Order: sequence, then C-alpha cells, then structure tokens
Amino acid sequence: MRRLIVFSSIVFLILPLKVLGQETQGKPITMVDVHSLGPQKLGNLPAVMTPPNNPQSSLKILIGKQLYFDTRLSKDNTISCATCHNPAMGWSDAGPTSSGINGQKGGRRAPPVSNAAYSPLQFWDGRAPSLEEQAKGPIQNPIEMGNTHEVMIRSVQNIKGYVEEFKQAYGTDDVSIDMVADAIAAFERTVVTTDSPFDRYARGEKNALSKIEKDGLEIFTGKGHCTSCHWGPYFSDGRFHNLGVLEFDPAKPDMGRFDVTKNPADKGAFKTPTVRDVALRAPYMHSGTEKTLEDVVDLYDKGGRVRSANLDPLIVPLGLSAYEKKALVAFMRISMTSTNPEVANVKPIPASELPK
Amino acid sequence: MKKYLLCLITLLLCELISTTDSLSIPSFARKYGFNCSMCHSGFTKLNDFGQRFRDNGYQIPGQAGKEPSVFETAPPISMRIPLGYTIYNSNEGTANSFNLYGMDILAAGVLHKNVSFLMIYTPRIDEPSAYFSGRDSSNNSASQYGALESASLVFSNIIPNVLNLRVGRFEPGYHMFSSKRSYYLFQPYEIYNMSSPNNSYVFDDNQIGIEASGHFQKGFKYTAGIVNGSGSNPDNNNKKDVYLNLSQTFGKGDGQSAGQRIGIFGYFGKQPITLPGTVIGNMGQTNGSNSRSFTRLGFDGSLNYKGLNVQMLYFIGSDDSAFNTINPGEKYKYNGGFVELDYVGLFNNKLVASVMYNWIKPPDYDSDLEFKSYSALCRYYLGDWAAVNVSMHAEYTHRISGSTSKLEEDIFALALDFAF
Repeated sequence: MRRLIVFSSIVFLILPLKVLGQETQGKPITMVDVHSLGPQKLGNLPAVMTPPNNPQSSLKILIGKQLYFDTRLSKDNTISCATCHNPAMGWSDAGPTSSGINGQKGGRRAPPVSNAAYSPLQFWDGRAPSLEEQAKGPIQNPIEMGNTHEVMIRSVQNIKGYVEEFKQAYGTDDVSIDMVADAIAAFERTVVTTDSPFDRYARGEKNALSKIEKDGLEIFTGKGHCTSCHWGPYFSDGRFHNLGVLEFDPAKPDMGRFDVTKNPADKGAFKTPTVRDVALRAPYMHSGTEKTLEDVVDLYDKGGRVRSANLDPLIVPLGLSAYEKKALVAFMRISMTSTNPEVANVKPIPASELPK
Repeated sequence: MKKYLLCLITLLLCELISTTDSLSIPSFARKYGFNCSMCHSGFTKLNDFGQRFRDNGYQIPGQAGKEPSVFETAPPISMRIPLGYTIYNSNEGTANSFNLYGMDILAAGVLHKNVSFLMIYTPRIDEPSAYFSGRDSSNNSASQYGALESASLVFSNIIPNVLNLRVGRFEPGYHMFSSKRSYYLFQPYEIYNMSSPNNSYVFDDNQIGIEASGHFQKGFKYTAGIVNGSGSNPDNNNKKDVYLNLSQTFGKGDGQSAGQRIGIFGYFGKQPITLPGTVIGNMGQTNGSNSRSFTRLGFDGSLNYKGLNVQMLYFIGSDDSAFNTINPGEKYKYNGGFVELDYVGLFNNKLVASVMYNWIKPPDYDSDLEFKSYSALCRYYLGDWAAVNVSMHAEYTHRISGSTSKLEEDIFALALDFAF
C-alpha cells in the first residue's frame, strides 16, 4: 500500500509540473496559439477587430481597394491582388491553383479574402500573423507578382494620385511598404459576409433554411464531423490539419505548415478554410484537387483520399448515406452563400479609374 | 390495465416523435455545439471520433491541449435516466412494472491543458425489481446502489498520442466493449459478471488504480494498468492486479464504426481467500490474507461494413483452486463471451437495431451457472440538429440459465433513455 501511495504521489506531483511546464516554454513566433478558447458554437460573425496600429478610415479603405485592383503592383503590370482573389469568384480564382506573372503556376489554391479578417493566421500554412503581413507576401513572391517591395514602392510613388491620397491618409508623401500593406488590409477588413441564410437562421428566422438545408446542418454538426474543425462564427478553427488530400503535383509533395514550424507533426497540414461562401470558389482544398462540393464530401466520407502517415486523427470514415451527403452539400451550397450587397457587388476598379 | 399502460406509452412516444426541438443536450455537446452523433454511432455507443475524444482526455482528437477548461464553459454536468415499462416472465413467475432503470450523474471536462477529469455518481434507487437477475433475487432489492462509479483524472499526451494516464477510479480499458456504453439496458455482457464461487473479483467493475494507454499511426493501440481489483469500495486489497490489452485496426478508423479491429487481453489478479471478521457485502473485498491468483485471457474483434458492426469477445477465466468451494483442489475454469450485431441507419443514425448472443460455459460440476441469452433491440433517437439525446428503446431478451433445472426468462421493455 505504501508503494502505491508513493507512486501516486509521484504521479500527482510530477505530471502537473510536466503539463504546466509545457506552457512556460518559449515558443517560436510561428507557433501562435490560435483560438485559445477552443471549439465554439456556429453563429453570426461578430464585428471585425482592427489592430490598434491600423485603425480603419474611409480614405485608407479606398486606397486599399484601389491598390487591391491595381496590376501596377506586380513586376510586369499584369497581376493584382484581385487576379487571384477575384470578388466574382468568391474572392478566390478559377484554379485549381493560382497563376502569377508570365503564366507561372503556383502550387496552392488562392485562399478567399472574404472574411479573412477573422482568420488568426494567414496563408494556407499560416506563415503571416496578420492581414498586413499577408499583403506584403505576394508582391515579392517570384511566381506571383514577381516584384520587390522597393521597386513596387517606387512605382507607387511615381503615381501622383496615390501619393496625394497617402499624404491625406497618413500625413506624409513618403509611401512605405507598411502603408501599402495597411491600406490593403483595411480594405480587406470590409470584405465581410454576414447575410447568408444560415446567418438569418442563427438570428432566429427559423424558415431561413429549407428542410434539406436543416438536415445538412444537422449532419454538419454531427455525423459529418464538420464542426470538429469548421466551428465558430467563422466556420474554421484556424488550425492546421492533414486531411489525406491529393497533391497538386505528386512529384513535389507540399509540406504545408511544416515549412513554417519544422515540426514533423505538421507535415502535409494546412489551415482550415472557412465554409462561408464556399459554393462560390470551386475547386477545393489547398491543392484544388476536389472539383465540387460533392467531391469534398466524398473525400471526408472516405476518410481522406490518401493514407498519409501524418493523417489527422479527426479524419475517420463517416458512413454517410446518399441523402446525408446531398443535405450536407445543400447546406454548404445554399445556406452558407451570402447576399451582402456591399461585398457581392464589389467590382474591379477599371484601370482608367485608378489613381494616375 | 397492462393494455392501457402500453397504449399510454405508445401515445407518449408518438407525441415525442412529433417534437422537433431537442429537449436537452449533454455537456460535451453543449460545450462544442456538436450533436450527439459526432461522438456516438448512436448514443450510447461511441464511434471512432468519440473513442478518440475519450482517449484524448475529453479533448478534440489531435488537438494537444487547445481546449476551453471547465472554468471557461458552462457547468459540465450531465445526467442519464432510462425509464419505462417492463414485462418479465419466467417459468417461476411474472413481474410487470414501470421502472426507473438507473440514473447517472456525470461531470467531466478539461481542468487544464491536457488534464481532464470524469466523475460519475449513481444515486441509490429503491425501486424494486428493475434489475432482473434470475434466481439471485437478493440483487433485486434495489435497482441501483448509491456509488461513486468513476472519479478519475486523465493526463493526456504526456507523450503525444503514445502515453496518456488515467488515475483514480475508472472503467479499465482491458475490455474494448464497455457495458456502460452498451445499447442494451437489460442484458449485460454476462461473461463480464462471471466468477468462481469464492472470488469476489468482477471483470465489469470499475477499478481504482492507474492506467496507461496510447495509440500509434498504423492502428496499433495498447492499454496497460495496475488496479486494486476490489471493484467498488473499500480500496483495501493488499495485492494489486495488472492487465494489458493490445489491439490492431486494419483500414481507416479505429474499429468502432470503421475499420476492422482485433485484439487480445489479459488480466492477472490476486484476491484473498481468508477474510477478516467483517466482510462488507456488495461493497467489495476487505483486506484478507492468503491471496491467490486468477486470470482472464481472451480476444475480441470488431468488424464494420457500412452501417453494420459486429463485435465479439471471448475469454477464459481461470481461478486458483483455493477459490473453488464446489470442487476443492481443482482450478475453477470457465469460458464465455458474446457476439453482437449492430446496425445504424436512417438519417443521422437515428435508428439503431441490434441482436446479441451471450453464453457462459462453467465447469461441468457447476452447470447451474450455464447461461445463454438471445437479445434484440431497437432504438430511435429524437431531436434536431442541436442534439440527439432522447431515444425510444424497445428490447427483448430470452435467457436460459442452468442445465439440470432450467430457468427460462423473457424480458420485454419499452423505455425512454434520456441524456441531458
């Protein structure tokens, strides 16, 4: 008995110390604890949080919108943010992966800009901790805009209209990469969709969803296991998972989050995208290898397409019936598609109307 | 009178079917906004996700410690209450009645990153005859004893996925098929309750001790533990018992609702045969002397095909001859098991149908303990997307006990199984 008491004492003393110790160890910047409160219920999106060092202003949002549609940010004046994050394509593109300057193909699909303000980390691998940081990335990516920040800033400073607008917004005509990124981020924070049938249902309009959509929601929160990752008002946990997805280029496996953290457990793991407006942006997954929502449901139903050694333990075969799959697709296709006019009606600014 | 009661129940059940709003949701589902079929093939049986959730210390699988604790969420308290009307017939008599079959009060949740707890208290229910145990009428005096069934801490991901520890009073993981999460309300996995005449150890009891468990990428899983072996209170068995369970799943899943799983297990225990003056009946073995050994060795399997799941378990019990008061000098050996076929169907697994066969083969000189049962049940779950937590339950069991003077029993019940 004494041995048991001693053993138990050791367990009770050592283990909590070990567990507590995990929290106090220093973490690399890339290991941000996202959504520290853990799984939350589905619901309406709250107001967008803005960082204290980049408050919203109507002029800044306007500049950001102009920059977003301006191909002059790229090396050869052919690519703008909107080329890959096209409002008419669910703020993504036709895919399967995105094209940059000189027709170069990227290895990943363009993540949607709509509601990206709610994502704690940006890019499929989460390498940017904010929209501001994200906005800087593609400009100097050799297969996206192919530019450098310095050359791009010189281009902007040669456009009198931008210089005047920046001076009005920031009080200086010395345009910097941070000012450009802040403005683009400010615009992106306005691209929020809050008026889907699901949102109306969550606000109490019980007839906002049809019978099959309600059934789809029931599967979404239960047998479909969707809310184990797609939870909360943003319909995403902001975390990284290996789903056993087909590679875009099997010869060059995409390491995903591992490239950022160097943690072997993150190999092949990618950020959970939001389900909001998902019907507008086929094909799906980071590699664009699932053509339709039906294909996506089939992927999950089978427990992944490939048996990766690093497959997320959340992924198990679901055993969905034909009707359950149909209902799930109906929920995603109809209930999650927003009708916000201020977002749905955003049109590219013609080159003739951009600052000169 | 019986007809009126059955009509009343049927009307009540029909009324409940037409109800669209869920009545209530258990605490985990409330915490996440999940509905019950996230974790259950059909409440009460866990699916692969639910099993991984349990194994991961009541945290979302693969999420090492990114969970809201009980201090950040609503009180994590749930209850389970099955009740209904039972028709019991045997060649020795009948007993038909309304019964509260049991009540569990559960509290569980995350205390701190990778530290969680589970507590289950079963209050005493003095409703007679709800528990049918054949000729052992002494067990029918109360349908449920007041007991702290579980009180355990789980330290998960000490080594991610590979080492999790459970400490306290818990349901040991040496059997893969939990009787506590079985669909059946009236027919337990009978072999779990079998023992030699003088051995108070019960395979199905929760135990006090410590258990390590873990799983590996290729479907291999282990559970090993050291426990008191005395089941319920008091915790004063001098000799500790050890157990091991190894399983391998082939294909995707964990064998609960997908994939094919096989496993082996062994329990190696000691119990005293000489007891001190005071023995607390039904509350466990006191600390006696002359401990003798016993073993339980067996295998199990769980096979899945679409909505069908076959689960089977077989084991051989062998108790030291000192436990054998019937045929002294000879080891008491018996074997038995069960085969259960479950089907889940309809939208969101709202229908469960199951058949089960149990058998026990005692030594020839103790043939009165021979046992066979044939059971069937059907459950239908009520509720909407918020939760599926009330089920209508119909169950029939035909039991045959003994060999020379057979006791044949039929139990039929219509019940409601609430969890909220």
